[in-house]
Amino acid sequence: MHKTGFHHDKNNAGSQQPIAFLLSLLVGIAWASAAVAEEADLIRFNEQIRPILSENCFECHGPDPESRAADLRLDQLENAVDYGAIVPGQPDESVLVERILSDDIDMVMPPEESHKTLNEHQKHLLTEWIRQGANYQLHWSFEPIPADRDESRTVDNFIDETLREKSLTPSPSASPERWLRRVTLDLTGLPPTLAEIDAFLTDDSTEAKAKVVDRLLASTAYGERMAAEWLDVARYSDTYGYQVDRDRFVWPWRDWVIDAFNRNLPYDEFIIEQLAGDLLPDATEDQILATTFNRLHPQKVEGGSVEEEFRVEYVIDRAQTASTAFMGLTFECARCHDHKFDPLTQKEFFQLNAFFANINEAGLYSFHTNSIPTPTLRLPTDDQREQLAGARQAVADAEAKHSAAVNAIDIETTSAGNNLSSQLSFLSTASQNFDEEAAKKLPGERVDGVRGSAARLSGDAGVSVGPADFRRWQPFSVSLWLQTPDVKDRAVVFHHSLGWTDAASRGYQLLIEDGKLSASLIHYWPGNAISIRTHTDVPIGQWQHVVITYDGSSRAAGLQMFIDGKLAECEIVEDSLTKEITAGKQHNITIGERTRDRGFTDGLVDEFEVYDRRLTSAEVALRFQHESLECLESPDAISELPGRHRREFLAAYADESCRESLAQLAAAREKRDVLLDSIDEIMVMRELPEPRDTYVLGRGVYDQHQERVSPATPAVLPAMADDEPRNRLGLAHWLTNPDHPLTARVAVNRYWQLLFGRGLVVTTEDFGNQGSPPSHPALLDWLARGFIDSGWDVKELLKTLVLSKAYQRDSVATGDARQTDPENIWLARGPAAPLTAEMIRDSALANSGLMVGKVGGPPARPYELAVAFKPVKPDKGAGLYRRSLYTYWKRTSPAPVMLVLDASMRDVCRVRRERTSSPLQAMVLLNGPQYVEAAQGAASEVLQDVGGDADEDRQVERLFQLLTSRLPTEREKTILTSLYQDQQQMFAADRKAVDEYLQMGEFEPGDRLDKVDVATLSIVAQAIMNLDDCLIKR
Amino acid sequence: MSFDIPGSRRQFLNHFGMGLGGMALADLMSTPAAANVGDAGDRKSLPENAALAALHHAPRAKRVIYLFQAGAPSQMDLLDHKPLLNELHGTQLPDEVRGGQRLTGMSGNQSSLPLVGSPFQFAQHGQSGAWMSELLPHTAKIADELCIVKSMYTEAINHGPGVTFLQSGSQLPGRPSMGAWLSYGLGAENENLPAFVVLLTKNKGGQPLAARLWGSGFLPSEHQGVRFRSAGDPVLYLRNPAGVKAPGRRRMLDAMNELHQLKLESESDPYVEARIAQHELAFRMQMSIPDVTDISGESQATLDSYGPDVGENGTFASNCLLARRLAERGVRFIQLYHQGWDQHGGLPKQLPVQCKETDQPASALVRDLKARGMLDETLVVWGGEFGRTNYCQGTLTANNFGRDHHPRCFTMWMAGGGVRPGVSYGETDEYGYNVVADPVHVHDFQATLLHLLGIDHERLTYRYQGRQFRLTDVHGQLIQPILA
Repeated sequence: MHKTGFHHDKNNAGSQQPIAFLLSLLVGIAWASAAVAEEADLIRFNEQIRPILSENCFECHGPDPESRAADLRLDQLENAVDYGAIVPGQPDESVLVERILSDDIDMVMPPEESHKTLNEHQKHLLTEWIRQGANYQLHWSFEPIPADRDESRTVDNFIDETLREKSLTPSPSASPERWLRRVTLDLTGLPPTLAEIDAFLTDDSTEAKAKVVDRLLASTAYGERMAAEWLDVARYSDTYGYQVDRDRFVWPWRDWVIDAFNRNLPYDEFIIEQLAGDLLPDATEDQILATTFNRLHPQKVEGGSVEEEFRVEYVIDRAQTASTAFMGLTFECARCHDHKFDPLTQKEFFQLNAFFANINEAGLYSFHTNSIPTPTLRLPTDDQREQLAGARQAVADAEAKHSAAVNAIDIETTSAGNNLSSQLSFLSTASQNFDEEAAKKLPGERVDGVRGSAARLSGDAGVSVGPADFRRWQPFSVSLWLQTPDVKDRAVVFHHSLGWTDAASRGYQLLIEDGKLSASLIHYWPGNAISIRTHTDVPIGQWQHVVITYDGSSRAAGLQMFIDGKLAECEIVEDSLTKEITAGKQHNITIGERTRDRGFTDGLVDEFEVYDRRLTSAEVALRFQHESLECLESPDAISELPGRHRREFLAAYADESCRESLAQLAAAREKRDVLLDSIDEIMVMRELPEPRDTYVLGRGVYDQHQERVSPATPAVLPAMADDEPRNRLGLAHWLTNPDHPLTARVAVNRYWQLLFGRGLVVTTEDFGNQGSPPSHPALLDWLARGFIDSGWDVKELLKTLVLSKAYQRDSVATGDARQTDPENIWLARGPAAPLTAEMIRDSALANSGLMVGKVGGPPARPYELAVAFKPVKPDKGAGLYRRSLYTYWKRTSPAPVMLVLDASMRDVCRVRRERTSSPLQAMVLLNGPQYVEAAQGAASEVLQDVGGDADEDRQVERLFQLLTSRLPTEREKTILTSLYQDQQQMFAADRKAVDEYLQMGEFEPGDRLDKVDVATLSIVAQAIMNLDDCLIKR
Repeated sequence: MSFDIPGSRRQFLNHFGMGLGGMALADLMSTPAAANVGDAGDRKSLPENAALAALHHAPRAKRVIYLFQAGAPSQMDLLDHKPLLNELHGTQLPDEVRGGQRLTGMSGNQSSLPLVGSPFQFAQHGQSGAWMSELLPHTAKIADELCIVKSMYTEAINHGPGVTFLQSGSQLPGRPSMGAWLSYGLGAENENLPAFVVLLTKNKGGQPLAARLWGSGFLPSEHQGVRFRSAGDPVLYLRNPAGVKAPGRRRMLDAMNELHQLKLESESDPYVEARIAQHELAFRMQMSIPDVTDISGESQATLDSYGPDVGENGTFASNCLLARRLAERGVRFIQLYHQGWDQHGGLPKQLPVQCKETDQPASALVRDLKARGMLDETLVVWGGEFGRTNYCQGTLTANNFGRDHHPRCFTMWMAGGGVRPGVSYGETDEYGYNVVADPVHVHDFQATLLHLLGIDHERLTYRYQGRQFRLTDVHGQLIQPILA
């Protein structure tokens, strides 16, 4: 009696299936006796009981121990039985039944303050369910997708079976025109052309429809349509978001998506490459580019923000997006506490986070520069790629040549004195010894120094020394004396940069970090820099001589620190510098302070010197001893240097061939580095060699570290294979394992939603306990298994669906279908749904003949951006007429017309758009320049097509067909012809109005057309474009 | 030109309660499920398009005008008088007062945190004796109308999260804004105007705002705030295209209506019905909006009361007047934004300018509402996203200083709409750093605001991703003592 078709008979909830039995063991549950199972009205836990418990009970008696009341959980039989809440088979003995039936306000469950109540039917169901033995099931979506798929079945078998059970009569097929329009919009986002309509209507072959589908799936418009949907899922935006919301360069990823759909990249690889393309063996540039998916979350730059707070937020966003997009899980609900409804713990949430944390990134992007947040991928043009290979080879050659030249020096016979260039100066290029009269006015206090006075720094005001602009291919050195009064966790000794996190530290700097000296050259901290740190602590209260030398190589090995004249042993913290280290008009070094950073409070600095060359160790030793470097002009002094130091010195200053090869090396580096600076970069994922520490965060707050966690998948789902790496690649393989119960179900459901307007599971975003159960569970599983077996072939899936009878049916509700199935859950009729914002605009553009069909490229700026919250100047020409997925998307000020038409904001991952109807929509479609202009374009096309002297009947008919893909009925034609005539009279009497009207937008109707005709027919076009036929997919 | 809605259409509109905010199309397909059934059974007080079946209790206010002062006005220079700071001017903030409060990256690494006394004179005003700074002479005149809450506190330390928190109950983007919640819960009182209107003072720099601050989050997009523009069409593409005059447009709409009616003859289809309604309402909106923005009928005395800027579209004064006109026409939530309160430096010069722009119009609005008998049912709120520090950011000099962000305490005022007039609620310590009595968290403020409108904040919910979401997350307590 109650059979609703939820279960295909072989999956019947009560039967003792091997899989079901195994599951019952896994979750420790008892199963009903076979006798009970055979009863016709056996209550099904997943469909009938779980929703009641989940909605009314689990919040306090569910998976989350924090919020659990009375130490009772009702999501597991064992605990409920131990507690006495449930006595299987005996409702009268069960406390649960007693409490839900109680009249006592202090006793009744759910309690009054929960604002939840059970109705009589629900109470009855719970009671009966316990009487029948209180059978639990694993939540349906966590159960395996049956492996034994019946290949003889079709989509329509499943649908028709349910229709028969429900005594619903299927509608007849839609007219050929209607189906063609529906399928063309669904698969390409565009309406069919008149030629396509004619071709289809005259094709009598039995494969006519299949041919159309193949044609559509092979068109580039298909990839654009599918990508438009994926942009919502991936929270794609051309700007960073949050508050400042600068532009960012991510559109090559969008083009990757279009291409991936067009070449029908299998869906499992689509997931693997986006989540972990960088970790694939011999990853291609394209596969690494795919991982930009993980970096599309909003990013922060607001001054004074806490860097770690937002880094944590980024990681959480990645985990949350992957959960929603691929698994339909609301895992983020377990951020602050265990999930209240689904068996997902807070620890598991942060274990999932751990997969996404291992990249070298900063929580804030650079305010003062346009550096791309690390990690990045270079995207050279073919030309640049070729040049770069050459430039790198040139550097390698020059290095080899120079190294050979250095080794070739005979240090015994080479005489320095005569060979020293007469132009050579050993003086520093900038310095501050704090001894001069003028230095008394400098910030900080003057105290006794190593020689004369030194500076005691306040930490809040710095001393400027310069100029000290160096590019990264230029060698340079800095020498100073310093003394710290205490152990500094962090102190800026000196820097040459526009700021700390506000500029991602771009520049070069010497800091004390955790008591140790740290020297760096930085493009973007932390992922694009060289940085070394001493092994030993800076002594407290003692003067120390420090020299930093750099050789122009962009390598950590080329950066050295000398302490008290000796080369200091250092660890390499970063060795990844590939881009410029200068920015803006910062010419000087600042000592002791940096905006919003921690200064060298009460630190002493003296004898500060900058050199535009790499000091040799001999020179360093001399400066430590306060000896003037000019003494090196004496050959005697040089011959006294120990051998190694002598070679180094001679190579730098005396040996002509060395000096020449060094100059060549510098030139080769400059050429390479300038080229590198000019190449575009995009944010991607690149795994750190060592995993970053990840913790359970108390209440989900970034600095409330609790237990340390490693990457792991949630226990409720099948375990990850032992031989899979515990990184994003392992995670992606786990997700796309044919036994994963969620991935394929979630995917086919989303594509079902794309075509049918609603998913088999309506809550596309939630396959958990609080989500809605599938309307056709067996069909969902059959499709999901078929999808996996097909090699995750998206085009094949879509083809199967659009060629199903269910999809082909007319969408008109016949008889009382509107009453019996208002939402068309059972699919007795075909799908009808509002066109998306993209489809409405793209249809208008396509029909107007104005569309610029170029695929991919930088974002376009159509008219509507001029009236956005933060107005942007629209493009001229082509940019006005590109398809809508290319429209520039600014998170804090999205394209306003698209927003009114229910586009997603793209702040967070969204897999479903709520559709609304509001008068604002009528305004933009009736008055917006894009649409008025498109109507004029369509009218002109028709006039050119049928000839200006064709009668208005013919014009209207053709226009109507162009815009709606069908011919008008006689009555429709009469109404529109009458509108035409009235409008023509108005315009004929008011030529000025005609001119004004036609001035809308850049479009100019051809000279050969009569302007009144164009304007009149445009008004008719506007009327048609705003009809249900054009705005609802039927 | 009048446009008669045929009887069946009228019924249709009433049935779906479609105002200018519109409707979720999913609701067309089935009987809209009421979000929550109220106890008061006061169904008739709500329009049909409200998600709430009834108010949860008798409302004290019907609508809100929220004068958001973005950037965070300095409470101790305006409304929270701290003479101790003048005594201790230039001395260090004691560690025991700071108590480990996390500071922003802007002053967090400063070596010294010198206290700054307010350079502005304070005096007591009205029978209530409220202390106010000399920068607020007009607000001082309405001291006895105000409920001044000095013990507001928040969790955010920066503007983006701070404003988002106050407007949506969450620091992160993605949740519906307060106005969207009210549009959803209470519907539109006047179907010819949106339920939620946003007005921004033009030409103000400072910390940027984002469209999500009046966005609908996961609620249907019909509930997003409609921003009225100060130049051009007040609402996106409100006017007919050039060359299209009213009779022509009417003729076109009639033809479209005929065609849609034709469809309905063969099949009653909710999408078609919604489309017809949409076009009719749009046509009416083209008249109702110019009417509300046209201030030519205002008396000179009224105009003068709002101050000299009132004649210029997009000023705070002009927006305050427009807010009153929108309130008169039943708009539920009128959100003003005035930026520029972020005085990290240059406070002595900048703060007086900010006050000059806002003090008189805000005061005039309260008095104007009172004079028209509307103050009782209109809640006016004034305030920013957090407070400012009692210590100086940057270098303290004789003529200049700045104050950094301070989440631990800030001051807001409310007037009308069921709050107690002439009171000050909550206290901060003598340093103006910590709340010492009656703390009011942002969620408490939100819970109280909803309460005043007849809503139990725990019961205005929306199911999304398997969870019942609400404005106050899982927090918020009604601040009973400030209710009239």
